[in-house]
Amino acid sequence: MDHHFPLNESPITYTQNPVVTGTSVIALKYRDGVMLAADNLASYGSLARFKDVERLYAVGDFTVIGASGDISDFQYTKHLLDAEMVKEYYINDGHVLGAPHIYEYLSRVMYHRRSQINPLWNSYVVGGYHNGEGFLGYVDLKGTTYKSSSIATGFGAYFAQPILRKIVEGHENTLSEEEAIDAVDKCMRVLFYRDARSLNKFQRAKITAQGVEITQPYSLDTEWSFGDSKIN
Amino acid sequence: MNPVDFYNETLTSVPTEHGFYPYESNGGTALAIAGEDFCVVASDTRQSNGYLINARYAPKAFKMSEKAVLANSVFAADGNALVRRLTQRIQWYKHSHEKEISITALAQLVSNTLYYKRFFPFYTQVLLGGIDESGAGVVYSFDPVGSYGLEVCRANGTASALIQPFLDNQVEFKNVQFDDKPRMTLDRAICIAKDAFTSATERDIYTGDHLEIFIIKQDGITIESYPLKKD
Amino acid sequence: MFLTRSEYDRGVNTFSPEGRLFQVEYAIEAIKLGSTAVGIQTSEGVVLAVEKRVTSPLLVSSSIEKIMEIDTHLGCAMSGLTADSRTMIDHARVEAQNHHFTYNEKIKVESVTQAVCDLALRFGESAHGEESIMSRPFGVALLIAGVDEKGPQLYHADPSGTFMQYDAKAIGSGSEGAQTELQEEYDKSISLVNAETLSLKVLKQVMEEKLNNTNVQLASITPEHGFRIYSEEELQVVIDRL
Repeated sequence: MDHHFPLNESPITYTQNPVVTGTSVIALKYRDGVMLAADNLASYGSLARFKDVERLYAVGDFTVIGASGDISDFQYTKHLLDAEMVKEYYINDGHVLGAPHIYEYLSRVMYHRRSQINPLWNSYVVGGYHNGEGFLGYVDLKGTTYKSSSIATGFGAYFAQPILRKIVEGHENTLSEEEAIDAVDKCMRVLFYRDARSLNKFQRAKITAQGVEITQPYSLDTEWSFGDSKIN
Repeated sequence: MNPVDFYNETLTSVPTEHGFYPYESNGGTALAIAGEDFCVVASDTRQSNGYLINARYAPKAFKMSEKAVLANSVFAADGNALVRRLTQRIQWYKHSHEKEISITALAQLVSNTLYYKRFFPFYTQVLLGGIDESGAGVVYSFDPVGSYGLEVCRANGTASALIQPFLDNQVEFKNVQFDDKPRMTLDRAICIAKDAFTSATERDIYTGDHLEIFIIKQDGITIESYPLKKD
Repeated sequence: MFLTRSEYDRGVNTFSPEGRLFQVEYAIEAIKLGSTAVGIQTSEGVVLAVEKRVTSPLLVSSSIEKIMEIDTHLGCAMSGLTADSRTMIDHARVEAQNHHFTYNEKIKVESVTQAVCDLALRFGESAHGEESIMSRPFGVALLIAGVDEKGPQLYHADPSGTFMQYDAKAIGSGSEGAQTELQEEYDKSISLVNAETLSLKVLKQVMEEKLNNTNVQLASITPEHGFRIYSEEELQVVIDRL
């Protein structure tokens, strides 16, 4: 081989797998804006390591990002976005970064890192309210991006997305806040039942013309007994 | 060599270890047909990942100038990055030469842009359709590293194997057993594009949701949208 | 020329209080010492003609080159410190080839002229620590001629980086007289053959030596043949028409 590198020195390695991880993020558009949800669990493999981690994060007054995947990479991303918001704020020229801008910036960072084969191991959902309408976009560790009226990452793509699409598609402008909350709860319950790396303690965020609101962590009532009656 | 295989080969020959594969396939199909004085570029808008549908409306065909439309398929992130680069180059060209870039010049530019990343390719198949300097419809197709050629019609993407033989037969009249060979009119090209996509949607899980047809003529570009099956 | 000498002609990038860059103006003066060059645009093509100062009978006159090819469709005549033109023509050639490589089409005459002029003010120290390539302005002016989709065109580029399009232009020591003559004789409908004759006629009037087929150089750029320097025989044919 033509490549020479000193003995006793191992090759350069970058992140090859996520370590402490968050599971699904779900999100949908509704009449007043966008709603997101994510549970408060950070797993270390199969160990439920931290149960008070917030995976929904407000960036500015009208944007929330939801993160699944590596939690340390998420913390780094929060830092990057905060720095960007501060930079934009102190330029003090009247420009404010809205959801589409934050989404664009995040997409560039993610694609740039994947192109250096040194990805940020996350799937992000960017929800926001901009120029009188809701904004909902997805970006992941490969720089893949898309916008859609409902989005779900991880296991949520299999379990929650079909439920969300049935409720949301074609009703983006009529769906009420109550209906949106019902949809979120329905999805989060299914995910808690089926996803072994999930937690029945999660937060919900809504972004409307009034700004961002992120709920305190809450739980849903669950029903496990019907299994017993089947077996017995 | 397939760029992915090429990538894997370089992976094993350089002293860097990775557990990260930087490509994925997002599916989708695009076709282009050149007529005497027009060109039709059509593509579906579904973006997939394995058995998942990421989005029902994620366009992969873009108007690059008043006389050229570019469609790409396979890895959407690379496709979008390519389009952004080209858009910027086209704007620079406009500024420094005070004219719109011709499709022949654009084709060469696309080729160079792809070849520039020969050793870490944009994993994308590109179709470029439009009107050339003489007013004739043209189609260029590119491989991921920039090889390109001028064609009458071409299908790219996950349903290309389904659509290309159909185009060969209906547009270029390959293997026809009869003498009735109608002239390629705009209406006929649009009908062929619609039929190709409705049929491809039936058989290819990565093709569906919406069909966007760009019609490029001397006096400008128009876009028509049609629904495709969403299953 | 400049009545009061001042400190403002030292730094190449220092404006005088009257708003002048003396070094650039001096460079433009340097061209007026150069041999005369003439360019005439017609609807059939562009003609370039230059005087060659054969200062010694022992000088091999064919070694004086003042008309050069930039690309098959582009030519250039020069006057002034011709050594400086190397840098400019090299740049123009690279730019033309690069354009062809990138876009598979011929570069426009105006674009290649702009590319050359972009070089012109890159002298002196630069502000941000990046290397500047030249310590002083160019001492040469160029007549850039060519044919593109807009037809035959003639441009004049000077050391200040300014370029302008002309129907007919003379530069160098005899330029004043030559330009007056061109102004009188030029007609929009002039043929290429008549432009050949006119260019030499104008040169003949301003040259100190008697014009012959070794002390002038003539070239044309046409849509049919592109850039072409005339042989001594072809030159003689034109001279015979005078």
